[in-house]
Amino acid sequence: MTRARSDEVYVVGCGMHPFGRDETVTGMAMAERAVREALADAGVGWEDIGYAAGGSDVSGKPDTLVGRLGLTGVPFVNVQNGCATGASTVLAVANALRAGEASLGLAVGFDKHERGAFNVSAARYGLGDWYAESGMMLTTQFFALKTRRYLHEHGISERALAMVAARAFRNGAQHPMAWRRKPLTEQEILDSAEVSPPLTQYMFCSPGQGAAALVLALGDRAFDLCERPVRLASLALRSRRFGSFEVFSPWLPPGPHRSPSVDAAEAVFRRAGLRPADVRVAQLQDTDSGSELIHLAETGLCGHGEQEELLAAGDTDATGRIPVNTDGGCLAGGEPVGASGLRQFHEVVRQLQGRAPGAQVPGAPQVGFTHVYGAPGISACAVLTA
Amino acid sequence: MTTRLMAEGLFEGVDPPRLVGARCSGCHTVVFPRQDSCPRCADGTMSAHVLPVRGLVWSWTLQAFPPKPPYRPPSGGFQPYHVGYVDLGEVLVEARLEVPLREIRIGLPVRLTTMPAYHDEDGTEVLTFAFRQDPEEDR
Repeated sequence: MTRARSDEVYVVGCGMHPFGRDETVTGMAMAERAVREALADAGVGWEDIGYAAGGSDVSGKPDTLVGRLGLTGVPFVNVQNGCATGASTVLAVANALRAGEASLGLAVGFDKHERGAFNVSAARYGLGDWYAESGMMLTTQFFALKTRRYLHEHGISERALAMVAARAFRNGAQHPMAWRRKPLTEQEILDSAEVSPPLTQYMFCSPGQGAAALVLALGDRAFDLCERPVRLASLALRSRRFGSFEVFSPWLPPGPHRSPSVDAAEAVFRRAGLRPADVRVAQLQDTDSGSELIHLAETGLCGHGEQEELLAAGDTDATGRIPVNTDGGCLAGGEPVGASGLRQFHEVVRQLQGRAPGAQVPGAPQVGFTHVYGAPGISACAVLTA
Repeated sequence: MTTRLMAEGLFEGVDPPRLVGARCSGCHTVVFPRQDSCPRCADGTMSAHVLPVRGLVWSWTLQAFPPKPPYRPPSGGFQPYHVGYVDLGEVLVEARLEVPLREIRIGLPVRLTTMPAYHDEDGTEVLTFAFRQDPEEDR
């Protein structure tokens, strides 16, 4: 699908508060810093923003940021959409710009989580207390069960899981805003504490904190503001259909189990008029090593069962054929739910502009891809072009 | 010692208890536990459906660390345990697996059983459902 340039939406500025853990700063303060950085990057002021959307899972109402940034009367939409929160803020702003609400918009996401596995209530997921009381309501179990079945069906070894994490920490070590900045060997990852086999401690990300923000502009305005605006070629958000294998499922149908990631990825490539093979830098949801492996194939970046070969050949390294999670992903950055999706945009935009904060993909990549996936069965994908 | 089943709605009968889900008259989808509407189609009505007791391990993992509440550990304290999905043919059910590490594998034949989950304050033993290796399938 081709649009007139006047209908295209571009990213013209991005900002990010370092991910990790810092007890001295609130979620809202991190968001403010990310927004101010994005505005400065775009060379605009808060008063220039004509439409805004913000998302946070647990760290406050995003629209109260106007009290810090300025009471300009700007329309500000709050989004709470699990792991797809960041992508949903971008979607809200992009649609508003195309609908003529404004020519300049802002998307921000932030979160600051407690330590340890996410604490969830059975009732919130429509389940009886028995499910949690009997010890089956853990996200870590779900990722392990899904991963074990996937490795079994596609003949992939457990070492491939360690390769994913080792690459994430290698990239994180080079990224100034990542949380986990120490490279680990595959053996160290395999030997780390048992959590839910085949996944070990260092194959899981941790809930952490962080914030990221984007300034988006419509049409010619983008080129007035930015030397290298990055085009949002397409963005698709999907919820699950019958038969997807989701977290907190006391039962599953016999299969096949089709994920919303497949639907979102197909839609986003179709709308962008591009193929997965065109992608030169990709950010995939990697709450754990197994998830990234699965998402590589579900998004079409490789075939099912091809992942191990791809990883072993270094194809997903920053210098490889399909660089994946060049900023270290969730594994190195942690997962502040509201900020995580916008971190992906931040990284892809900076890569396509040739100014990655960490490992830069060589050769001026032209096509970038983002993918998030979360409970209970939502996925959002985006294609961005230089 | 008195015992009770963890949640009555999950079971039919007591000696031995069977798992009960629901089946859609329209598309024949089987769900567990029971629910009143079909997640797949809008046409059918759901009625109680007793699930098969035998199946195959479809996937499995170990819960190596003690879960946070509302998980309730057994009276002797938390011990790592196996969980997985069991393929019952018409539906896959998530369950505790009373199978030792040396035996556990995808494809292992298993059979429904019950196991103590925890004790109520008054000392009543609370049983939950689980699957164990099927003795009739032993080589």
